[in-house]
Amino acid sequence: MVLTAQHLTRRFGNRVAVDDLSFDLLPGEIFALLGPNGAGKTTTLRMVAGLIEPSSGQVTIGGKVVTRHTASKLRGQIGFLTEMPGLWDRLTVTQNLLVYAQLHRLPHPYAAIDQALDLLDLRDRAGDPAVQLSKGLRQRVALARTLLHRPTIVLLDEPTAGLDPESAREVRELILRLRSERRTIVLSTHNLDEVERVADRVAVMRTRLVALDTPAALRVHLFGARLRIVVVQAGASFVNVLEEAGFTDVRTDGETLSIGVDDPAADAPLIVRRLVEAGASVVMVMPEQPSLEEVYLTLMRDHKTPEAVRS
Amino acid sequence: MRRINALLGKELADLRQNRAVFFPAILTGVISMSLPFFVAVFVPAFTGERLSDSSDLEIAEQLYRAQPGLAALSTEGAIQAWIFQQFLVLLVLTPVAGSMSVAAYSVIGEKQARTLEPLLATPLTTVELLIAKVLGALLPALALTVACFAVYVAGVALLAEPGVFRALLTPASLTIVFILGPLAALAALQLAVCASSRVNDARSAQQIGALIILPIAAALVLQLTGTFLLTAPMMAFIAAALVAINGGLMLLGIVLFDRESILTRWK
Repeated sequence: MVLTAQHLTRRFGNRVAVDDLSFDLLPGEIFALLGPNGAGKTTTLRMVAGLIEPSSGQVTIGGKVVTRHTASKLRGQIGFLTEMPGLWDRLTVTQNLLVYAQLHRLPHPYAAIDQALDLLDLRDRAGDPAVQLSKGLRQRVALARTLLHRPTIVLLDEPTAGLDPESAREVRELILRLRSERRTIVLSTHNLDEVERVADRVAVMRTRLVALDTPAALRVHLFGARLRIVVVQAGASFVNVLEEAGFTDVRTDGETLSIGVDDPAADAPLIVRRLVEAGASVVMVMPEQPSLEEVYLTLMRDHKTPEAVRS
Repeated sequence: MRRINALLGKELADLRQNRAVFFPAILTGVISMSLPFFVAVFVPAFTGERLSDSSDLEIAEQLYRAQPGLAALSTEGAIQAWIFQQFLVLLVLTPVAGSMSVAAYSVIGEKQARTLEPLLATPLTTVELLIAKVLGALLPALALTVACFAVYVAGVALLAEPGVFRALLTPASLTIVFILGPLAALAALQLAVCASSRVNDARSAQQIGALIILPIAAALVLQLTGTFLLTAPMMAFIAAALVAINGGLMLLGIVLFDRESILTRWK
């Protein structure tokens, strides 16, 4: 494991910000933290980065426990993109990056800066003061700063917040590129579409862990597997046929049938055969996928249940 | 050391882009330097009343006659030398005034600009951060003090009685400018940086740091009234006390710098 969080809890006075959160991350994994404002996502990232100490529990990076004494050294393995870009406005892009290259004691700081500028397509803005950059460009510079020292663990707090769609897509592409380089990424976001596109696993949290699994597994766990079949005739006229075949969870909407199944791949041929035998003209068959938004909203609604959904 | 240099380089680069921050220091320096010229050169020249005509300043003449190197000064020159040397203490305020706003803004400014968290997420230690912040405020101020002192000595050489400028190049004067002044400035700046890491706005930090001006101003008044004279043993004692105070302030700064509070409680 590259990163392990065990029973992380953080209290601020009487308020519990993070409660008993545990997860393990593999090299090259993109792990998303999803949750409403105040759910403890940023606090979790700060604990992982060794910026604040957990009230109980521990974070392990590469087998070493993050403590007050080890945090400074272990931070060298982490790149943390904070919620705000946090650039020094009066300094140029290169000057901003140079300070961080030196803070990380990179042996060839200018070469590392050149690499980061190329990676984020910032070469032509290298000499511009940060204050002159657009929000999207500032975020790209902050990303360049985060990746400057080639960290094995990359923590991204709302990396696409406030970006235009094109910039957001570029950031997502970069995240996927980082995965291909076997970097481990922890992504805190409200953007469900982003999670859907890039995350290998999702931790839904609201102070406590609400659910942790792959997006696909969360869908199945919460909604079960379903097949959507469109026929020419009214769907309701085939409900009996399907019930006789053992498929009792059937919903209809005009010509569309939504059928709860155990295994879509195995059950689809049988269902189609029965429908055709009953005189149905099948137009389309596809697995029915609730969006991650539906999954998230369901989890948040049902969050009062004490047991977390976890594989 | 490399990390201190990196952050110090950033501080200095940032200041180069924001030179207006040193305007109060330059103003303080100009006022500090002008006052003794008015008292010792311009007012006597305009009124036609020489300093040596006043019996109140006999003590000054006697003090300077006692110094072998300055025995050759005229009566007027000896009194001028006394005045110019007394006002050197005021020159000590220049670095403090110059760097106070920089130091006061050092931590809270980073927090307000949202640049502190990325910085703390690097391997930079608290000691490295504090040293870089203090030096970032101190070095430009010291450069300013040296410049002011050079102008002051040049002004005295040009406008005062012949040989008076040598009174500013005695070990005592040089100790005030180059040892006591910087040590006092360092203490003030450390106090301001400590305050900057605890308070919620830069103004509070600046006011706390400025407390160091009080003993310096008191020393000036006591000197001018003849109650207190900065003798060599006294200067050695003050220097030792300032070294001890600076050591204590560094430790205090490390203890008071609470990353968690800074990140989670400041808004």
